[in-house]
Amino acid sequence: MLFILKIIGSLMIVISCSFFGFYLGSRYSKRLNNLIFLQNCIQLLESEVIYSATPLPEALDNVYRKGNKKVSFIFKEIKDHLKSNKVYDIYDSFVYIKDILKNNLHLIDEDIEIILSLGRVLGSSNRDDQQKHFKLVLKQIQTQQKEAEEKKKKNEKLYKNLGVLTGLAIVIILL
Amino acid sequence: MKEQMNTNFLKKSYGNSKFQRNPTKYKEILELLDSDIAKIMDKIPKRVKDKVEEIRLRIGRPLMICLEGSDYFLDKRGKLNERDRDSYIVTEENIKKTFRLLCNYSVYAVEDDIKRGFITIKGGHRIGITGKTVYGEKGIEIIKEIASLNIRIAREKVGISNKVIKYIIKKPNSIYNTLIVSPPQCGKTTLLRDLVRNISTGVPKLNFRGLKVGVVDERSEIGGVFKGVPQNDLGPRTDILDGCKKHDGIMILIRAMSPYVIATDEIGDKKDIKAIHESLKAGVKIIATVHGENINDIKTKPNLRQIINEKIFKRIIILDNSKGVGTIKDILDGNNFKSILDGDFKYAVYTKNNWQSHDCNIM
Repeated sequence: MLFILKIIGSLMIVISCSFFGFYLGSRYSKRLNNLIFLQNCIQLLESEVIYSATPLPEALDNVYRKGNKKVSFIFKEIKDHLKSNKVYDIYDSFVYIKDILKNNLHLIDEDIEIILSLGRVLGSSNRDDQQKHFKLVLKQIQTQQKEAEEKKKKNEKLYKNLGVLTGLAIVIILL
Repeated sequence: MKEQMNTNFLKKSYGNSKFQRNPTKYKEILELLDSDIAKIMDKIPKRVKDKVEEIRLRIGRPLMICLEGSDYFLDKRGKLNERDRDSYIVTEENIKKTFRLLCNYSVYAVEDDIKRGFITIKGGHRIGITGKTVYGEKGIEIIKEIASLNIRIAREKVGISNKVIKYIIKKPNSIYNTLIVSPPQCGKTTLLRDLVRNISTGVPKLNFRGLKVGVVDERSEIGGVFKGVPQNDLGPRTDILDGCKKHDGIMILIRAMSPYVIATDEIGDKKDIKAIHESLKAGVKIIATVHGENINDIKTKPNLRQIINEKIFKRIIILDNSKGVGTIKDILDGNNFKSILDGDFKYAVYTKNNWQSHDCNIM
């Protein structure tokens, strides 16, 4: 009887530790995913702005509808904030969604800073100039993607293995 | 010269015509102003709200509104003053915020409009902009450091051309080529717009069925097109080419839309004249407006002189503001430049008392 209990206990320890490891590891792939979707959304926004010269509220709404909802919801948040408050600057709306970005997505501060930097210039100049800013932002996001991918390669397996092994180690010590 | 018969077609003194005032779009303008300014503009007397023509913002200078030919300063409580006393002083932030709201936070979307010095917003209202202009390779690049905004509230005056239309209808179912001559701010675009509506809709009373009309609206003034929808009623048979240069637009319309009449605002360019010749070749009638004091003034202008002397325009409507905005001074026959106004206009003569009572009402 005691033996069965021991086995069940150790299995639970191993499973929970592995899950924890998987969770820590998955953050890296989730961040990469978020960045890819974000890049998509910003490209959509770029074409709305540069090629069809759609005014921002409408453009943001279009991005929300066309983009992957996992990320594109932030553009709807920006639009709603913009419409409901007569904000002085669209940057205020970007600052407002900063917390939403932090809590709902798996981005790190550097990524969020890039999104905010887009907010500082979005809509404030003519199309040529907007194009330059979009290029810059997209390039920055690509760099972040590369970095995220490398980190993912390096750490995802590490955390997963670490989780399983930690579980096993605890079990061995306890036995 | 015939007895001078003036009529003020913008006034309500119309009597039996179908004149109706468009419901005021004042509220939608307030939505687009900086909250400080909107609060003040909301406090002004209701009677004034219906009449405001322009709201003028200038950095560091008092907030001003224009109505019925005169301007008034506003103080914090929304009281109108003729003199600058405790007026509300417009700040740079007011202007910037209002500008951003007006262009929907999207300068790039109104980029081409800004180059022309004004933007058209929903409702057909026009915002004039001045500031520091920056030149690029292709002319004006952008206007930055915006210093003044002039918000011109569009008020469609449906029915004002009802008295004029019979002069330009050619029996049985056609119209004469018509030129509207007017100094600025005398209502020429307003008259043109309503003429287009009447021609497109038809006038059953005169046994006039509607005609297909093509409008080349270079400055978005006639139709006030916003997102493809004209904000002013231009009738059921009207196609509008928005933001298109007149000479290009006239050619496109002839080729694409087979209009019977082409209407356009403020001709004067050499290319415009050429396009008008083209359209006459295609058998299309023209209604156009032009800046000018009177027929002799037009005859001195280099390009226009040519088409006046060619007697292309069979009807010439001359406006001025001698009796208020939109006074029809005369209607001439384009062949011999003689007045063809008849007694009908006697009923629409504007009265001085009317005008004065407006002034008293405002304060």
